[in-house]
Amino acid sequence: MMRRRAPADLADRLLRGPVLWSGLATLTAFALGPFIWMLLTSLKSREELYATPLQYLPQHPTFENYVDAWTSPVTPFSRFFLNSLWVCSVTMVATTAVSVLAGYAIARFRFAGRDALLLIFLATQMFPSVLLIAPLLTQWRALGLIDTYQALIYSNFSFTVPFTVWMMVGYFSSIPRDLEESAMIDGCNHFSALCRVVLPLAAPGIAATAIFAFVVSWSELLFAISFTTETDMRTLSAGLLYMVGQYEVQWGPLSAGVIMSTVPVAVLFVFLQRHLIHGLTAGAVKG
Amino acid sequence: MTAVPVPLAARRPRPLISWRVRQLMVGYSYLLPAALCMLATVVVPIGMAMKMSLYNDVLYKPQDYRFIGLGNYVRLAQDAVFWLTLWNSFVWVFGSVVLQFVAGFAAALLLHQAFTGRAVVRMLALLPWIIPGVVVGLIWEWLYQPNYGVINDLLIKAGWLHDRIAWLSSPDLAMAAVVFTNVWRGIPFFAIMLLAGLQAIPGELYEAAHVDGAGVLARFRHITLPLLRPIIVVATATRIIWTFNYADLIFVMTSGGPANATQITSTYTLLQAYANLDFGYAAALSVVLLLVMLAFTAAYLRLTRGVEEVG
Repeated sequence: MMRRRAPADLADRLLRGPVLWSGLATLTAFALGPFIWMLLTSLKSREELYATPLQYLPQHPTFENYVDAWTSPVTPFSRFFLNSLWVCSVTMVATTAVSVLAGYAIARFRFAGRDALLLIFLATQMFPSVLLIAPLLTQWRALGLIDTYQALIYSNFSFTVPFTVWMMVGYFSSIPRDLEESAMIDGCNHFSALCRVVLPLAAPGIAATAIFAFVVSWSELLFAISFTTETDMRTLSAGLLYMVGQYEVQWGPLSAGVIMSTVPVAVLFVFLQRHLIHGLTAGAVKG
Repeated sequence: MTAVPVPLAARRPRPLISWRVRQLMVGYSYLLPAALCMLATVVVPIGMAMKMSLYNDVLYKPQDYRFIGLGNYVRLAQDAVFWLTLWNSFVWVFGSVVLQFVAGFAAALLLHQAFTGRAVVRMLALLPWIIPGVVVGLIWEWLYQPNYGVINDLLIKAGWLHDRIAWLSSPDLAMAAVVFTNVWRGIPFFAIMLLAGLQAIPGELYEAAHVDGAGVLARFRHITLPLLRPIIVVATATRIIWTFNYADLIFVMTSGGPANATQITSTYTLLQAYANLDFGYAAALSVVLLLVMLAFTAAYLRLTRGVEEVG
């Protein structure tokens, strides 16, 4: 293979050798450095954390910051974690159900206003979420939903649903119609054809989309701080910000909290990155 | 298959609702939940925001609630801070997107090469993108911390700095500091997009150009760039809109301070709604945000139509 090519010029050899390796090393160090520093911080005791001169590596690694953050009565991180887990899980399941149906309808049925609807789903992805805070807060107050999980979950739909519908339309359009048509000739109605034929085929894409809904809800901050007032109702993002707001910033427990908030999404990302990247870029590459 | 005697089909009575209409009804019923979600969480709230922007609506002064027409917009036009935030937004968006693009492009070119352990490196390099905004903000706040932050320490050790710098509380440096943080976070986005674009370019093109004697730079200029152009336009435009709207990072790191040095229009809107509870004014600001975004999208759509014609 290499022999058939023209001899590589100097620039080519440089680019494939030293430039490539130093570039990759810089890239990885730049991407990971801040995480590693936070991880090291979280393992230091208070004395080591605020030592001068700065101590880079923890001499006596300790998990006390994690225990502190997790059990603190003032900033109950375990509670924040469970709140996030619940809000994001329900958001994920509901969003997926809603967007599977809508995505299927848009991909398969011809009806008036289809293009307009697609455009709405696309445009809402570009709306600033600060725009929604004042009206949604008024709305949730009127309905008595302040400090409830419902308010957070419903609000999350505003950014998860448009995106997941958009992705679902893509997945369903890529599945040939013939399969469902033959299932329907065999006596399935639309819904059972969807459940028995289309969903199994689209399952990997749907799973990735669901996880994506989970991950973006996990990051949500502005709704969480606006629509909750009680410490016990805060999600992780809101809780971390609340930890900063308490008197002086306790960087030890805070760094432990940061690491604990990062790990779940990082793990999900590791497992699903291939699907996620495919889903995110498919539209852009085609267009 | 053996022939089974089939009774001759009797003409079925005409159904009450025709097949076509039934299909449509099924389609609409599948759409209904998503449409309701959008209606309740996006469409109605946007309508409410537009109405709110015409009222004097401060949450803790219900006695002053009244219709004031374009009063909030007049106040906005006279608000020096608002005009400052527009300029800051421009600096924030321009600085973030340009640097993210350049670094993301470099990262994509690197990750496109074949080397052992590529999958692992690629995953690690993309990690900053998936992390919650609060976490990004807090990590960098700690890195920038004047006394215990590692950035000051490294710069002093390298001899580039004599005194510790309070990055986030210096009016001259705070914007650069938050932009840099946003760049760290956004590089993976461009890397992912452009990498997907690079992988869609057929390898034969490069080989043919190579055989014809085109060097690295010539191949980059005449193959890579033109073929990536559509994806560059899409990725840049979505990123510009996203960055313009994005308030989390600045809100966490500086709350727009010191002295509004990092106050962008979206954080200013957030501040009016969240801290000042001045919903009328916040709504007017968000309507302006929306208009800026729509104007940009319209310009972008014209531009991409141009791209399609050329390509």
